[in-house]
Amino acid sequence: MSVLTSIAYQVAEVAQESFTADEAKQVSGAAGAGMAYGLAAIGPGIGIGYLVGQAVQAMARQPESAGTVRTNMFLGIAFTEALALIGFVVFILLKFA
Amino acid sequence: MLTPVVTQISVNAATLLLAAEEGAEEGGGGITSSPIWPSGSEMFWGILSFTALYLLVRFVLLPPVQRIRNDRAATIQADKDAAALARSKVASASAEVEDQLAGVRAEAQAVIDEARGEAEAERQRLVGRAEREVNAMRELATTEIATEREEALASLRPQVADLAVGAASRVTGRSMQSSTVRSKVDEYLTNPSNSN
Amino acid sequence: MLGLEYPPIENLVEWPNYFGDGQIWALNKIGIISLLALIIPTVMFLVSKKELVPGGLQNIVEGVVEFIEEQVIMPAIGAQGLKYLPLLLTMFLFIFFGNLFEVIPTFHMPANARMANPLFLALLSLVVYVSIGFKEHGFAFLKDTAWPGFVPVGLRPLVGLIELLTVFVLRPFALAVRLFANMLAGHILLVTFGVLCISVFTAGIIVILLPLTFGMLVLLTAFEIFVSFLQAFVFALLTAVFIDSSLNPAH
Repeated sequence: MSVLTSIAYQVAEVAQESFTADEAKQVSGAAGAGMAYGLAAIGPGIGIGYLVGQAVQAMARQPESAGTVRTNMFLGIAFTEALALIGFVVFILLKFA
Repeated sequence: MLTPVVTQISVNAATLLLAAEEGAEEGGGGITSSPIWPSGSEMFWGILSFTALYLLVRFVLLPPVQRIRNDRAATIQADKDAAALARSKVASASAEVEDQLAGVRAEAQAVIDEARGEAEAERQRLVGRAEREVNAMRELATTEIATEREEALASLRPQVADLAVGAASRVTGRSMQSSTVRSKVDEYLTNPSNSN
Repeated sequence: MLGLEYPPIENLVEWPNYFGDGQIWALNKIGIISLLALIIPTVMFLVSKKELVPGGLQNIVEGVVEFIEEQVIMPAIGAQGLKYLPLLLTMFLFIFFGNLFEVIPTFHMPANARMANPLFLALLSLVVYVSIGFKEHGFAFLKDTAWPGFVPVGLRPLVGLIELLTVFVLRPFALAVRLFANMLAGHILLVTFGVLCISVFTAGIIVILLPLTFGMLVLLTAFEIFVSFLQAFVFALLTAVFIDSSLNPAH
């Protein structure tokens, strides 16, 4: 975290000092994009891991309800993953827009 | 430690905003070139294709598939019903066969028992007759043996008496009155236990 | 180090028009893929035989229909949702074939990696489940959403606001973004490994790493086929879930 911040700090410094506004936008956008996606991936990563783990446990305990559990697992993954994907969209926006 | 970072981030954001504004002023719509923003013509073809596909699926493509699936389900159900009917028929027929078999088996058992009884009676009869014959023969033989013995004894008695008289006269050196001795010997031989 | 020349993203997702520049009917690769996503299922359904004992293509066609019925509608809505089968089946087929062109040579571009189709489908989903809610419950649908009866009175404005935001903004937004971002991310991933393979191939002795990068590319291609299917499935499933929440809003 602090490493990322210091990288962004330095990048922004460099951008302020010697680049034109367009380049500054690109460089700081790239640094911010990396941070945005990296941070956005943490929570959903933990969440999906926990979710799938619990789903597998449920399936192992009650194999007869595996179908329902799998459907709900995909639903949960879809909702959790949306956060990471919003981070990805922010990444695209910062990097390319 | 924290303050310069926060300042820097805000400066960073300000730079970004400034750059974005400049870009917007220069390009007159940087947003149209964004990879996020939907393009009208692509959406047009997408809507066209989707609507056409929906109408086709709704009215042309899906009904025959659903019809054949329903037909198949109906056929399978009918076949299952027919199979169940046939199975129940088989069950009743096999029960009937079982009944008949049981009757036949009982009948056969009765015949067997009857035959066995008859055979037993016949055996008893034959065995009884044989035993009777054997007994008769045994009695006959016993009486024959007894008469034989009597005859042998009777035939032996005078000879024994003569032998005894001869031996005694030889031993004593004089002749003995045969008739008295003979009666003694006869008595002895007839009743050997109480004359000794 | 490897001299990795990454192409600008505009070259990855924006395609030149074949005709009609500047017009609404301008046709580019995305439009072609949309049309193919219309044509391929149509041909599949039309060509497949309709026999009591299925075989070959008929198995696939009926399997898709049965999949939507058994795995999407029945768990999410139940038997009363079977009348939405054409809509959900169309969504599934359209999204799946749009996605599948991500790994089909000469295309290598998922139609849903552009925002146009996901946005349209998400808005369609919004229109469908909102109109179903109004049809089933009349104005009470809106009232129950904005003024939910199952929470204490003090919380109702807040929860109602959140519910309104969820139903009318967040759901379609999340639907569109989920599909779009998944496919764009997969596309960029494939491009990255494709570019990496080329770079490694032309980088002298480092070419010994080529089996690794190429193997990863093959694995990712298989994974993207799975993701294509999964995203189509999830989109149809979520639409079904939203339809169900409009039919039976009894939380």
